[in-house]
Amino acid sequence: MIRLHNVTKVYDNSVVAVREVGLEVAKGEFVFLVGPSGSGKSTLLRLMMREEKPDTGEVWVAGKHASALPSWKVPHLRRSIGTVFQDFKLLPNKTVYENVSFALEVTGRSRHIVRTQVPQVLKLVGLSNKADRQPRQLSGGEQQRVSIARAFVNRPLILLADEPTGNLDPATSVGIMRILDRINRTGTTVVMATHDHAIVDAMRRRVVQLDDGRVIRDQRSGAYEIRVQSNVAPPGAQPRETGQDLAEPDETQELAAVDDTADLELSPATTVDDDPTPVPGGDA
Amino acid sequence: MRITYVLNEAFNNIRRNGLVVLGAVLAVFVSLFLTFGTLIFGEIARVNTERWQEDVRVIGFIRTDFRDVEDLRVEIESWEEVDAVIYYSPAEALDEARELFKDDPRQLQIIEDDPSIIPASLRVRPVDLNDYDTIKQRLTNSPGVSDVISADEAVQQIAAIRDGLRVFFWVLAIALGVAAVALIANTIHMAIYARREELEIMHLVGASNWFVRTPFLIEGVVEGVLGSGIAVATGIGLYNLARDRLADLPEFINLTIDNAFLLRWGLLMIGFGAIVGIIGSGISLAVHKYVRT
Repeated sequence: MIRLHNVTKVYDNSVVAVREVGLEVAKGEFVFLVGPSGSGKSTLLRLMMREEKPDTGEVWVAGKHASALPSWKVPHLRRSIGTVFQDFKLLPNKTVYENVSFALEVTGRSRHIVRTQVPQVLKLVGLSNKADRQPRQLSGGEQQRVSIARAFVNRPLILLADEPTGNLDPATSVGIMRILDRINRTGTTVVMATHDHAIVDAMRRRVVQLDDGRVIRDQRSGAYEIRVQSNVAPPGAQPRETGQDLAEPDETQELAAVDDTADLELSPATTVDDDPTPVPGGDA
Repeated sequence: MRITYVLNEAFNNIRRNGLVVLGAVLAVFVSLFLTFGTLIFGEIARVNTERWQEDVRVIGFIRTDFRDVEDLRVEIESWEEVDAVIYYSPAEALDEARELFKDDPRQLQIIEDDPSIIPASLRVRPVDLNDYDTIKQRLTNSPGVSDVISADEAVQQIAAIRDGLRVFFWVLAIALGVAAVALIANTIHMAIYARREELEIMHLVGASNWFVRTPFLIEGVVEGVLGSGIAVATGIGLYNLARDRLADLPEFINLTIDNAFLLRWGLLMIGFGAIVGIIGSGISLAVHKYVRT
């Protein structure tokens, strides 16, 4: 789904953000990018969403050669990528509903699609009852859920999240991670840059650690910090098992409860699939 | 849906930035009003000078011993700057002189005493008032021509003033046109800046470039068309008012110009306003990072 081959990115001020990075993310995988500030996590995400072009190497995203894509084709690539940021990037003068429907309207979707998809995705993030609120009337966690809803309403193949819990307290972060986990279970590939030890340690998903622009660790089901050097993901890592369809009634019922469970402790037993079963034939 | 969305965006932008939009519209208005006014003024000047031109000639007197007058006439008529040449025989010239001096018995007496002092002549009508000097020069050097006189220099002064005014107004109109483009560019710049968060999200979720840019182009065009439309309406209104109020002007000044002229140039002005709008917003869109992927 995402493939970086020998990618180097040097910014104008001659800061080398990413050095000779090679990385493959299979369809349906959940990958944490970890590392200190300035290690290149955000740049990697920006390269994947074609906000930046690499100086050398190739970036392939959703079957497209993103780094060689002419700029007029970039919008089409972006429609297969959802993005979530630490600062939510919501439009303050639009309601929750309008913020989410905006993503569909500006990509030219029909009214019918807007009317069916927006309530569905608001239900997924547990904000059905706050559709008419404006962002300033919501808590940080709720705002981030709106931004996830907006990123996901297009049903993208890939969700890129740049420190989505960076502005949130641990309890609220759990709620956000539950939603990202749900989205991942629909088969959406999720790549998330984070500093949050607790989340990475609890989720036990693939961890790619960066330092000074290089990949220094790529671990199948890792923790934030290297404790056990086992389980290193082989090249072309297999995807984890994908979950049920979001549209199923019982599933959305359960998701609607996210609101109430947001303050639960993050416990591996209840929120994290500890033992991912690799399925063969992942689409790299 | 796409079209209505894009149009909505454009008109929302205009509403949100009322005062700035008004400034841009006024700039287009002033610039195109002056241009349109110049055109109307120029047309009135053209119609009138053309009428006067009908009556002014360069006159070349023919030597009495010169025989190939018809050949000379044909040759002069073939000159580029010459519209027509008329031959006045001594008899016709005498009739004309009698008519001209009928209130001046002394002059009349001189003519009647010796009609041969009135020579035959060629009356040359120039294509343009500015061609007088050339024709005068060429005529003087022609065989068989004894003397050349031309109409009062006032005609040439009128032509010079007319041309000078034309240049002045065009320079002014162009300078104001550039100012109008700049003001529209600034309006669009402010609209883009005000919506930068929205535009950033549009790019993130994959809105196509035309979807992002078209509302701003439409905004520019609306401002240009609005300004030029008001300019044309004001121009035509003031022209009609002036024509009605100045009905008592001397007969030799004619203020009536063709309605087809007003319609044609009015529509062209509005088209020009739209182009000013496109250029203005185009400049803004070209330099702004928020509207680029």
